[in-house]
Amino acid sequence: MNICIFYCSNSLDANALKQNISNNEKDEVNTVSLPCSGKVNLLYLLKAFENGADGVILVTCGQNECHFLEGNLRAKKRAEAVDSMLEEIGLGKGRMIVIRKNNEGIKQITTALEQLKKDLS
Amino acid sequence: MIVAERKTIPELVEILNGHKKILVLGCGTCVTVCLAGGEREVSIISSALRIASNIRKLDFEIEELTIERQCDNVFIEQATEAIERNDVVLSLGCGAGVQAIAERFLEKPVYAGLNTEFIGVLEERGIWTEKCAACGACVLHQYGGICPITRCAKHMLNGPCGGSREDRCEVRPDRPCAWQLIYQRLKGIGQLDRLKKIAPPKNWETSLDGGCRVIIREDHRI
Ligand code: SF4
Ligand code: SF4
Repeated sequence: MNICIFYCSNSLDANALKQNISNNEKDEVNTVSLPCSGKVNLLYLLKAFENGADGVILVTCGQNECHFLEGNLRAKKRAEAVDSMLEEIGLGKGRMIVIRKNNEGIKQITTALEQLKKDLS
Repeated sequence: MIVAERKTIPELVEILNGHKKILVLGCGTCVTVCLAGGEREVSIISSALRIASNIRKLDFEIEELTIERQCDNVFIEQATEAIERNDVVLSLGCGAGVQAIAERFLEKPVYAGLNTEFIGVLEERGIWTEKCAACGACVLHQYGGICPITRCAKHMLNGPCGGSREDRCEVRPDRPCAWQLIYQRLKGIGQLDRLKKIAPPKNWETSLDGGCRVIIREDHRI
């Protein structure tokens, strides 16, 4: 399974993320750092699917915590638009996940990743 | 500007099914501004079509290009080579752009990727509204600059219809009653007297009812 994680570099530590994600024969997980989750647009996310991702996770900072005020709100809406588009395309809903960071740290991401893998398998 | 919306991916797949080399052609003018058919949307729609093609084994080979204006020969020429090396064109221009391309490449199927909706404005971020139906004989000066043909659901030149609720149109409660707006606007500019005159029936010959319209400017023809 191929999963791509886009994350806001203000809300996640890149090293911690990489250390906690293991690639194996069955699963490939790629990470893409963003200066703000609001930097994603529909094309970034669709391109991930075009290039073989089975699922995409977008990690945004918590409510009212965006360094650029509303980047996380825009990111969520764009991800929702991609989810609808994937449904139109015939891939169904649920492959595009948005995680708003809470205080669980990296565990929140690894749990969501395992859940997505389970849902898609 | 002309406002358009993309067709759904299943509609586009159905239109393109059976073709292999496809040029998705964007337009850099109105449809770029209304976020339907500019360079970015060309990439988004192309990406979606590639994913759809992979799933359904449709074998699409998609090329992307955006020109400044699809309704203008000078710019269409810049797309000639790309159009010629593909089997079909999926135009993300408005209806005029699609036809301008089709008329110049007689051997090439040219399909509309958008639904052209109306002449309108960006009301606020992500919201466009219709303002003009291009009737060919503008009467805005009589109605305080608010078009009763476009913005009144019953196109009433002598309104209101009497059905409005508060300030909402009875046909589209999500929209304001155009006649309420006309009244307020004329009151604001001290021209309420205009409403005392009954407007005669409009001559629709200047509109689509008179057949496809053409404008000839002899002073520009030599
Ligand atoms: S009166 Fe005719 S030309 Fe003027 S805004 Fe209305 S539809 Fe457009
Ligand atoms: S409620 Fe107002 S806008 Fe709606 S149809 Fe009647 S007059 Fe026209």
